Amino acid sequence: MTTARNSTKYSRSYKDEDDAEYNRGSQHLKVQSRNLHGHQRNGSTYSRSISLLDIYCAESPSRATGDSPSANVGKLDDDEIDSNLAQSLDELQILSSNESVGASPVAAYDRSNSTLIGGNSYSERPSSIMYVKPTTASVEREVLNSNVDRYGFKKVSTLSKITAPQYDRWFKEYSDYSLRRKKKWEILMKSHGLGLKLGHPQTPASSVKSVEDIPTRFPPRSDKVKKMVRRGIPAEWRGNAWFFYAGGYERLSKHEGLYDQVVRDTANIKNKDTEVIERDLFRTFPDNIYFNASLSAGGGGSPSSSSSNNIPGATSSNEETLLIKCLRRLLVAFAHYQPQIGYCQSLNFLAGLLLLFMSEERAFWMLVILTERIIPKVHAANLEGVHTDQGVLMLCVKEYIPHLWGILGTTFEGEKLSEDKMLSRLPPLTLVTSSWFMSVFVGVFPIETTLRVWDILWYEGSKTIFRISLTIFQLCVDSPEFQSRRSHGTDESEQIELFQLMQNFPKNLLDPNLVVDHCFKKIGGYGFGSLSQDEIDRCRSFVSKQREKLNSNNRRKDLTEMTPEERNSLVISHVDDGNIHDVYGFHRPIMSGMLWNKSISNKVKKKFQAKKKD
Amino acid sequence: MSSRKKTLLKVIILGDSGVGKTSLMQQFVNNKFSQQYKATIGADFLTKEIQIDNNKSVTLQIWDTAGQERFQSLGVAFYRGADCCVLCFDVTNEKSLNNLTSWKDEFLVQSNVSNPQDFPFIIIGNKIDVDDSKKIPSLQKKLHNITHNQLGGLNYPVFETSAKDSVNVEAAFEVVAKMALQQEELNAANGGDVNDDYNDAINIHLGSESSSCC
Repeated sequence: MTTARNSTKYSRSYKDEDDAEYNRGSQHLKVQSRNLHGHQRNGSTYSRSISLLDIYCAESPSRATGDSPSANVGKLDDDEIDSNLAQSLDELQILSSNESVGASPVAAYDRSNSTLIGGNSYSERPSSIMYVKPTTASVEREVLNSNVDRYGFKKVSTLSKITAPQYDRWFKEYSDYSLRRKKKWEILMKSHGLGLKLGHPQTPASSVKSVEDIPTRFPPRSDKVKKMVRRGIPAEWRGNAWFFYAGGYERLSKHEGLYDQVVRDTANIKNKDTEVIERDLFRTFPDNIYFNASLSAGGGGSPSSSSSNNIPGATSSNEETLLIKCLRRLLVAFAHYQPQIGYCQSLNFLAGLLLLFMSEERAFWMLVILTERIIPKVHAANLEGVHTDQGVLMLCVKEYIPHLWGILGTTFEGEKLSEDKMLSRLPPLTLVTSSWFMSVFVGVFPIETTLRVWDILWYEGSKTIFRISLTIFQLCVDSPEFQSRRSHGTDESEQIELFQLMQNFPKNLLDPNLVVDHCFKKIGGYGFGSLSQDEIDRCRSFVSKQREKLNSNNRRKDLTEMTPEERNSLVISHVDDGNIHDVYGFHRPIMSGMLWNKSISNKVKKKFQAKKKD
Repeated sequence: MSSRKKTLLKVIILGDSGVGKTSLMQQFVNNKFSQQYKATIGADFLTKEIQIDNNKSVTLQIWDTAGQERFQSLGVAFYRGADCCVLCFDVTNEKSLNNLTSWKDEFLVQSNVSNPQDFPFIIIGNKIDVDDSKKIPSLQKKLHNITHNQLGGLNYPVFETSAKDSVNVEAAFEVVAKMALQQEELNAANGGDVNDDYNDAINIHLGSESSSCC
């Protein structure tokens, strides 16, 4: 089922940007107009099959593509392109010369394509609608007086114990923080020659009201920018910034019009996937006024729109909101476009959150990027990627939080899992962590914390999910709840208690800075930033290989159940069954600060314990 | 070997996506209904202590699961040691009714219970609050057909409930508790977890060894 368009996609080798070594030379700077027709549906499917191993070797969002100069083309409305084109090109020139990239891509720019990019016939969610309330002092007051937050979510959720006063107290402080961060971003943008008010020089930047005031291109990757991203992207810039850093523009320009086509192809489709999608639409964000029309009647804000100020789609309380319609189209199109995934529950959360921040078409491509490159096969029919990533996460826990591993590396029946067996028998807790990966923390954290993680994810890639997962674990282990609630009863009740604690604990992590700072700070934090993408990729390859062996063994086992003769013959060939019991060795950079010391002290401790037992 | 002294009864709720598993659990445990449950990813559980049979107090640990088929590959660990399994369908969705059998089979395969023939299952048809016109036509006949022909002719208790209006939910879970307690006592009498081999690589080894000696 391999189509031509994938043959080379994963063969590029990217560098880990952790060391800020971002290789700009490999950028795709051409607007690839010939690809307009390059993606023909092959037979009945757009699908392909790629081994997880191939993908793991190549994962890296946008490293090569993050800022294609076709960047702000997609952003402009048709009628604005003419007037803004010249200015955009000027800026591209500046960007290009700064980064010693040739000017040829600009020459390759094809205006007839640009109008196609801007075309919106497939989408009822005009890109001019801004659902997210901008980072301004007046919005702060507005949110404090409302029962919904900046994004249209109810401030008080049935899922967490956070109360409205708690929320407001936090928001007041965090809102000041956000305003400060936004100022820093504005300075950063200026220092890169990225103007903030393209068509509206008279508008002060602090009173952004419409999408035209939001930057479409962002500074190239650097240590400075990485730090800025980790401290949070201004809420209303998020959609554009995620799209930019994740390599969205490259996808979009490669596949112009494709989303439109898939939507047309799937307009009246009815199958198993659409059935499940239909049931999940209203179970995605029932606590958000843009997804649940019955809420908006009870107050809350309306999104800013460049043309008008009415609530898009949410006119009458019994109607489907505009975003519900978008969500349906997007999920159905995605299921059709990626038949090896189809529809998997949790994609609704991912697509839904993307839709609050960007247009339908862009959200579609972001979902493709996420499921193809960042967390491959996590949503596949057999959830192979979930199993692999849980194996990787468990190896990370064992390496980084050995104390916790001692507790969670136990089955419900009380059997201790040794390292060589943990991959074939994932601990019960991985049922909780699976959803962290599948939903990428949507619904796991309070929304702002999730969004801050997403800021980092789209910039830094999949290692973010592992780092944040470890951070949750460590925060939980350090919490008084963990210390006091830890049962000393049977192993099973201990496991059950741990399960429940880990499930509920992140729901109350309202302050994103607590999570992010603990994750990355070496002093006063856990320093999980030292877990590199390279390590994750190697570990994923390792786990994936182990699982392949395991699966082939299981297949053989099926055979053994058939006839006794076969069985006996296989017994002989099973003698080296031990070969699945490989052990993964973590690579430890010598200078990784506190963690390094911690690791040594842990190893010393372990050695002492081992000696004692002897 | 492990004689867990538990009055803790483990109950698994299975059924197609959207039949109301989360709502049933929430209604029973917390006495509340919300239109705002999100789709369940992975699994979740709640516990509730109840009194049955002359003030005997038991704790029900109720596991709510994701309904989409592919999630089956994740959630097998917690099936083990289950004392009762609740098979749910939506009285307005015929497919969810027809799938009861596969949910039962799936459970038996994954949970590896020692007495598949008389393991306690209970069937719940949820959403009876919905307008009659939307309900499965001749539901009783179809249900009868399924319980008698496909579910092995075993007379599993059937409840029709509304998690929304809290109809029959309490009653259903009371029966769940009684059945689970029976199963638990049976297991205890048999010496706990009898059937404890695993469907994985480790047991290939054990399995092969035992087969080679006979």
